[in-house]
Amino acid sequence: MSPATSSTVYKGKSGQWAFVLHRVTGFLVFMFLLLHVVDVSLVNTPRLYNQVHQLYGNVLLRLFEVGLLASLLFHAFNGLRIVMIDFFPNALRNEKVMFRIVVFFTLVLSAIGGYIILRPFIEGRIL
Amino acid sequence: MTTTSPQRPLPSANRPKMERRPRANFETWSWYFMRVSGLILIFLALLHFSITHILYDVTDTDAKFVAARWDNPLWRAYDWLLLALGLFHGLNGLRFIMDDYVRNPKRRAVVKAVLYTITGALFAYGTLTIVTFKA
Repeated sequence: MSPATSSTVYKGKSGQWAFVLHRVTGFLVFMFLLLHVVDVSLVNTPRLYNQVHQLYGNVLLRLFEVGLLASLLFHAFNGLRIVMIDFFPNALRNEKVMFRIVVFFTLVLSAIGGYIILRPFIEGRIL
Repeated sequence: MTTTSPQRPLPSANRPKMERRPRANFETWSWYFMRVSGLILIFLALLHFSITHILYDVTDTDAKFVAARWDNPLWRAYDWLLLALGLFHGLNGLRFIMDDYVRNPKRRAVVKAVLYTITGALFAYGTLTIVTFKA
């Protein structure tokens, strides 16, 4: 195997998915953080800050917020799974069960949080 | 990231004690930093998101909302810690990703220089906002 593929691919099935998703969600959250530093710093110009945060309330950006929540939740729970595997060697035996628990909590909490974030749209109060 | 964990050397009776653990170099500290900052960020980031998107609607978090919150220096400290740990945890994570995917050394140096500059500038900008804000 060439070094270009051997460093990032391993035979792991769920472990491989966890690895890829951890990178993708981490990347997405970091990109949002870069944007977020700028939008919060607009607070020194309150009128502009308020306009931008009204914009965050439209349905497209609310969907984006739900995606951010899902990424954050997956990255947090899978990070916990990684730490458990690293510090408690026996946890490796339950690695697949832990991955399912990570996915389960990510989906359930994203659905609940997503409903709350999208409620103004669902109830027809915004477009 | 499990792929970057320090390798445990095989137990050997004749080996001097010092050699049983890998020497603590930059990557060892980076590995610990990711775990410690990650555990702290789980609480900081999820609580922050819950307040600004779940308890309150995003359209309620206007400039007045920020001013009321930053009236308390503890919230400024909270937000600054979240900014610092989030940025450097993310920067270090992206450093791993670039080491894996940007194979050309020259291109990698350029991409890293751009990323470190942007992150450093936004860390300074965010810190300035949190410290100097006046309602």
